Amino acid sequence: MQDKEVFDELKTILVSRLKFDPRRAADVVQSTPLPKGVEGSIGLDSLDFIELSIAIEERFGVVVDESENLSAHFASFDTLSRFVAGRLRAA
Amino acid sequence: MPQLQRREVVITGVGVVNAAIVGASPALGAWLREPRPAARSGAGGARPAVRLPEATLAGLIDPDEARRLARVCQLTIAAARFAVAEAGLDPAAGLGLVVGSELGDFTSTIAFADGYLARGPAGLSPLLFPNTVMNTMAATTAIAVAARELTLTLNVPTVAGELAIARATAAVASGRADAVLAGGVDELDPLVAEMLDALGDDGVRGEGATFLVLEAERVARARGARVLGRIAGAAWRSLPARPWGVGRHVASRAIAEALAQAGRQAPDWLYVSASGDATRDAWESRVLSAALGSRRVPSVSLAALIGHHAGLGALHVAAAAWTARVGLLPAIGGGAERVAGGGLVHGLGRGGGHVAVMVEAA
Amino acid sequence: MRRVLVTGLGAVSPFGAGVKTYWAGLAAGTCAIRPLSLIDATGFRCRIAAEVPDVGAGSARRSRADRLALGAAAEALEDAGLGAADRASAALVVGAVGGGMLEAESWYWARARGERLPRWAASLRAMLPAAHAEALAHRLRLGGPRHTVVTACSSGAVALAEAAELIADGVVDIAVAGGVDAVTRMCFMGFNALKLLDPEPCRPFDRDRRGMSIGEGAAFVVLEAAEHARARGVRPHAELAGHGTTTDAYHVTAPQPEGEGMARAMRAALVAGGVAPDAIGYVNAHGTATPQNDRIEARAIAQVFGAGRPLVSSTKSMIGHTMAAAGSLEAVATILALTHETIPPTATLLTPDPEVEFDCVPRVARELAVEHAISNSFGFGGQNITLLFRRA
Repeated sequence: MQDKEVFDELKTILVSRLKFDPRRAADVVQSTPLPKGVEGSIGLDSLDFIELSIAIEERFGVVVDESENLSAHFASFDTLSRFVAGRLRAA
Repeated sequence: MPQLQRREVVITGVGVVNAAIVGASPALGAWLREPRPAARSGAGGARPAVRLPEATLAGLIDPDEARRLARVCQLTIAAARFAVAEAGLDPAAGLGLVVGSELGDFTSTIAFADGYLARGPAGLSPLLFPNTVMNTMAATTAIAVAARELTLTLNVPTVAGELAIARATAAVASGRADAVLAGGVDELDPLVAEMLDALGDDGVRGEGATFLVLEAERVARARGARVLGRIAGAAWRSLPARPWGVGRHVASRAIAEALAQAGRQAPDWLYVSASGDATRDAWESRVLSAALGSRRVPSVSLAALIGHHAGLGALHVAAAAWTARVGLLPAIGGGAERVAGGGLVHGLGRGGGHVAVMVEAA
Repeated sequence: MRRVLVTGLGAVSPFGAGVKTYWAGLAAGTCAIRPLSLIDATGFRCRIAAEVPDVGAGSARRSRADRLALGAAAEALEDAGLGAADRASAALVVGAVGGGMLEAESWYWARARGERLPRWAASLRAMLPAAHAEALAHRLRLGGPRHTVVTACSSGAVALAEAAELIADGVVDIAVAGGVDAVTRMCFMGFNALKLLDPEPCRPFDRDRRGMSIGEGAAFVVLEAAEHARARGVRPHAELAGHGTTTDAYHVTAPQPEGEGMARAMRAALVAGGVAPDAIGYVNAHGTATPQNDRIEARAIAQVFGAGRPLVSSTKSMIGHTMAAAGSLEAVATILALTHETIPPTATLLTPDPEVEFDCVPRVARELAVEHAISNSFGFGGQNITLLFRRA
């Protein structure tokens, strides 16, 4: 799966799992930051990130192990898409 | 037994969100002058129900916030904000919170279970999980209004709203809190309605939230707050009955205690729960007759117009404060009766929990 | 304000029925966290919990949680020797979260499979947190004011504080108060989904702790105005000398990172009891064994008491996190520590966390007579409470 396909799936997850309004989700671009408190981000907090990681596990079969330090991967849609696509290629 | 020296407790803010009334005291007062039933819908099962239009909440909570709030939490926060804004309160000075609810967040509980049943462990939603515990309305509202003192969620049959007001009054009267935001909230849910139908639970069902800011009178006046009314007495007791049953005893210690605290022999008018559950309503009538003797005391219930839900008990207290101020008791079908003096808000639940709150002008 | 004494104790714990059984397990440092049997744990990372071995008492038509509550409350009333007249005026405050959810789930799961169960299993009323208070009041003939508090993991302790206020304010002379929760699928699945559960028995305050263990049970106490207890000639277990209740108002699941709300609750309890920090010999911690809670709680305890003393231990190392029962089961553990002059251990603590600046009584109970002890319960949504107990 390409980064772009992963990105599109993540936007679907924004609506289905994270309860974002579809128009808000459509506005998101690759460079949009994820975590709350970052300028221009979609404002995800710790609970959102747990929901997101379960959704990623369900949709892509990629297990997000919270014992690793993954904050760099969850910085933006771009970094997250590349992380997931990379794990899929390695599988 | 010796009672603690009680402080005077006043109401400084009101917030109401239901199908008939949205806003603070002015919105409530406008509706009480011409009380009209809100539109009914079929969302309450076989019984008539009064559901809040979707657009109402969309207008009260912004989308970023709403994303993370269950509907019943949105109702609570919207009403809470109206009340806190009207009171002009600075929560940094210390604010408690008491939420009464009969059903909590049933919608999220069902959705959480459905996620697992449809898709196994991966179908579980961490975002939904905190809503499966009934304190979710209090937890989210405490964050929204910065309430950092005592936070309580009370679950009792029928009278959760009245009980929240009585409990908050005790907190302020005893000197343990200077300001407490208190009220009731419930949400309509189709599966709940189906189960209530199966129980033969009668009456119009409603949903919504009503919250009041209660403060120590001296503290409220010192900061120049507008006082909307005084809670002259409040108590909760139990009458003997089987669980969720209707009993035969009629001597209400709650009414006696509330009157004693208010220094009164009897109320001049009443707001009563009269939820439309016929056997329960009959019991309440007998209890009130026993307390009031042969006097004819004007009384009203807003349950048929707005639908029974935990918010209604708190709404009755807010309405009682309005009645004490303007001297009018709303009449179902429009118009009002002229009254004077102080009134009693009474709630009697299946199982025998009963609450009495004496309200007067301040 | 009137002094509030504890004159009756009752418990149904993962060790079994009765206070004696409960204390025997605590004093021995036994861990009761074992493979789940009540619900199907297939597909979940964590498959263990501290279940009550034999719920016994009561009709099979009652919910498991109702039966746990009845067992514990009946024992407390018996222990206090309360007669009919005292029971008729006694207040009742119950801390509850799950209610009869376990049975409601069985019904809902069957419904999803297209099966049918008897109507009683679908009872909405049995499911609600308020159900226990209705059942207890009726069965045990408790006729005073009653209500149910739902404050997540602190419910059981908040129930005791509510009851104490009714007595202190002169509303009643006697109150029955406690908390109860049975294992439920919702709770088990939810904490699994939040990744807060350790697949092995939890290790509070351990450097290598990985999360909570779920438990179930019930504990009730009889609280009584001091003069009333004296007139009855009953010997109290301890005095409930004060409590402090605060709210983080920070996040729905995560605690405020500096432990600000926790520290405020502890300080408020001390002020209410007129006790200085150095008079506290033992802290029964909330101690869930999540990396976050224990770190923040330890920091809060240090803020209030300074580093090094008092002794701190977590009962959850032995009985898991019993949800709405936790506050009351752990209050009973704290009272028993005072009366037995023995501090229960953190039974599963192997490698103390260097960031925790306290002796957490690893593995073995410690004989020590203390005058005052506190019990902390910090619920989801930042619902914090500290109960302060004084030797009778």
